[in-house]
Amino acid sequence: MAVRDRPTLTRLYERVEDFVPLPGSAYILGTSVEQRSEHSTEWVARAGDTTFVRIIAQRSHEFDVDLRGIRRVGLRSGEQLSRLVREIGRPRVYLDITGLGHHIWAPLLRALLSTSAEVLAVYVEPSEYRFSKTPTEGEIFDLSEAIAGIAPLPGFAALTDSDNDNVCFVALLGFEGTRFAYVLETVQPPGGKVIPVVGVPGFRPEYPFHAYQGNRSALLETRSWRNVRFATANCPFSAVYVLQDIAAAYSGNRLKIAPIGTKPHALGAILFALSNPDPVELVYDHPVRAARRTSGAARLLVYHLSAFARPSLP
Amino acid sequence: METSDAAAMTHLEGAEEQLSRLFGSYKAEWLRERIFDLFTEPAYFPELLTARPCMLVGGRGTGKTTVLRCLSYEGQFVLSGRDSKATSSAEYYGIYYRVNTNRVTAFRGPELTEPEWTKLFAHYFNLVLCDLVLQFLRWYQLYTTHPIALPPEACALVGSALHLPLVSSLAGLETSLRANLVEFEAYINNVEDGPRPLLSIQSGPIDLLLEAVIQHPAFHGKLFFFLLDEYENLEDYQQQVINTLIKHAGQWYSFKVGVKELGWRRRATLNPNEQLISPADYVRINIPDHLSGEKFKAFAKKVCNDRVHQLRYADHPPITDIAWALPGYSDEAEAEALGVVGETESVKEELGGSATLHEQDILQHLSPLQLYFLRSWARVENRSLQDVFHAFRNDRVEWDTRYDNYKHALLYTIRRRKRGIRKYYAGWDVFTQLAASNIRYLLELVDQSLLMHLRNERPLSEPVPQDTQTHAARYVGRKNLSELEGLSVHGAQLTKLLLGLGRVFGVMAANPLGHTPEVNQFHLIDNGREIGAREPSEDEVEPILNAAVMHLALLRHPGSKLVAETDTREYDYMVHPIYAAFFEFSYRRKRKMAISSRELLDLIRAPKRAIRDILDRSNRTEEDEPLPEQLRLFEAYYRGGS
Repeated sequence: MAVRDRPTLTRLYERVEDFVPLPGSAYILGTSVEQRSEHSTEWVARAGDTTFVRIIAQRSHEFDVDLRGIRRVGLRSGEQLSRLVREIGRPRVYLDITGLGHHIWAPLLRALLSTSAEVLAVYVEPSEYRFSKTPTEGEIFDLSEAIAGIAPLPGFAALTDSDNDNVCFVALLGFEGTRFAYVLETVQPPGGKVIPVVGVPGFRPEYPFHAYQGNRSALLETRSWRNVRFATANCPFSAVYVLQDIAAAYSGNRLKIAPIGTKPHALGAILFALSNPDPVELVYDHPVRAARRTSGAARLLVYHLSAFARPSLP
Repeated sequence: METSDAAAMTHLEGAEEQLSRLFGSYKAEWLRERIFDLFTEPAYFPELLTARPCMLVGGRGTGKTTVLRCLSYEGQFVLSGRDSKATSSAEYYGIYYRVNTNRVTAFRGPELTEPEWTKLFAHYFNLVLCDLVLQFLRWYQLYTTHPIALPPEACALVGSALHLPLVSSLAGLETSLRANLVEFEAYINNVEDGPRPLLSIQSGPIDLLLEAVIQHPAFHGKLFFFLLDEYENLEDYQQQVINTLIKHAGQWYSFKVGVKELGWRRRATLNPNEQLISPADYVRINIPDHLSGEKFKAFAKKVCNDRVHQLRYADHPPITDIAWALPGYSDEAEAEALGVVGETESVKEELGGSATLHEQDILQHLSPLQLYFLRSWARVENRSLQDVFHAFRNDRVEWDTRYDNYKHALLYTIRRRKRGIRKYYAGWDVFTQLAASNIRYLLELVDQSLLMHLRNERPLSEPVPQDTQTHAARYVGRKNLSELEGLSVHGAQLTKLLLGLGRVFGVMAANPLGHTPEVNQFHLIDNGREIGAREPSEDEVEPILNAAVMHLALLRHPGSKLVAETDTREYDYMVHPIYAAFFEFSYRRKRKMAISSRELLDLIRAPKRAIRDILDRSNRTEEDEPLPEQLRLFEAYYRGGS
């Protein structure tokens, strides 16, 4: 079924200021070094009856949150995450993933979706990427400044082994081909079963070409350019549908998914992992977000997650 | 398109596809099932078949995964022609397990102390090994149709060692173990919540399970090997956990471990006073040592010939000998191909006019490369050509030795500062030296040579010309250089280090006379040249050198002193010869220079200055040698840190 025939429960706002959380909601947000993760005081004032839950420090294994006082929440603690979500206690919760690391919002989302609250994710596109989107071949990309290394996202470790030959490796690609190469080197998937997913349409029309250019070496080396699939860059639901299609096409294979592209695609990967009946292994390289990586804030998107998937979780 | 053109294109595409299938999938990890069809047994293979634990040590592409997978029960089954009788009567069963970074890194974090993680990981590894044995037993029953049942009390015993609910059959044990693994996974994902599950004692369950398996008539007297691949992916403490298993493996099983050089970081067991020692506890098989020189050539020839025999192109007969398809040059012939005759026409004229009959006879018998040598020597020594020729005539023994020392080095100078090929890298023997015992590199060189040959519309019935081979070698060097970035988190540092060293050795190679020829190795010295400069500590240099060796940017060889493996400073380091064609220096392991730790780090941080300083010490300057075309891609790096 084409993506156009499937629901993409997304509301798009051309400007951040056009969006205001509905009264009676909670709004979870964190700020990062990126400009687009900040919300102005004026915007917050306009939000009226909204409880803002600010994540004020993000560390590898925990975060500090300000909800009627500051407290620490362990990322590998279902109990602490659930307690936080219970205490938020609003029927509708927005999770703004723009300023939060994957390792923070992914376990939070899992906890939120296990409650009866209506869960919506918010994402603000950058108006510009500041790093070179068209690196020349001789440009050296320093992974040590860019990633911390492969490790499971908290709460998403997959320890049950499977037959290594029955693996299908899906990489949701961004611009940084070295990250794709590194993940491939670590996973060493079987030849022929590497499926790259490129964000098409991109945030901007030219971005898919940058993704091809940036990942060119690894696409050629694995010959996986022949298997490329497309999903709208700012749409997690498109990503979920593509992943569902891949899972159907490679039934009997365990999916390993590397969400190293856009954040909405990573959101799609998490939604898929939470809702897919068969185990899925997420492979993530934990980027270290550099200051000035992006600039400005473009469109804002609100994704109606709980209307889409509310998995039954233990 | 004309019909004949279309047919030629179809043939070409077909041949390229075959090449890709036979040679292009260099990585055993990509080949999967076909790995077994293309397997060639290396000379050290029998050493792996004894009951003793083995550590198979080698860089990327040396064939560790291929060998371990072919030792596995699935591999042996395919290699035996899928003969179930051969499986039943096998003397050993290998159980393959690749250490998955994404799993083992789940067992770390500040939530628990290292002793707590150690207990959890040891339990997890018991579960994994028991699960692998149970998978084997299921497979064995399926492929041999021999039912295998263990006594209920044995199953119950293994179950209780793992704290599983009461089980009385293999199927029950497998189901229960899987369920336990899922629960354990949920615990690790919520490790702060507790309570901690009941844990098994190290190796306890696996000892019990394999003891029971060996009692079964189908497995009497059989050996079981756990084939652990990519041991370097384990955390340090996890290596200690498995070292303990290796040290105290019961009589029922043994371990065969594949690990990259320097990837085995901890030798101790969980008892810090107890080390794994070779040969008492294990056999160390260092692949480059076991597969060097003529042994590697013979092995590589068989690997390549087995593949190339299968290549079909149009109506041409298949290539039967890869060495025939890849001809090289003697030094003299290469000199002529590089245009030395044109460079030396004037030498004979200049010397011939005043020469005696005897001298004319000598001149008649000198090769163009010898004449070029005399002219070059005269220029460097600032002497007249006649003077040098007379010295040459008067002491042939000394000058012949001198010529032998320099003649290969001179090849790098004939087309110095010119565009195009400035040095040939061609011939089967040269390719085996470029690969330096690395079968993956050799397959890449052969693949690219044949591919470029076909794309040049040349038939396989003709050998690959030397210039095509040179372009292929340069391409392979560049490709591997660009891949270094993504091999590890520190890949960028390795790329920069290699670019720096490659440039230094390239400049030296282009200007050998008056200097030690063919310098392509270095050893570390401590005396920083800047007075008062802080010398970088071992902690800064060692991880970079280790990563460079582990990922084959550098090869290391024990220096003149007897050394401990961990002593970075007592080794000689050589840029891997696979990069020689890209940077244009000698692929032969010859002579070394000293580099300080500071210079080594500066090649990464401030390359322009570091390259200048290192060359300065050998009275050379970079300005004399413009950046070769292929290095201009990296101009930004070479301008860095001035």
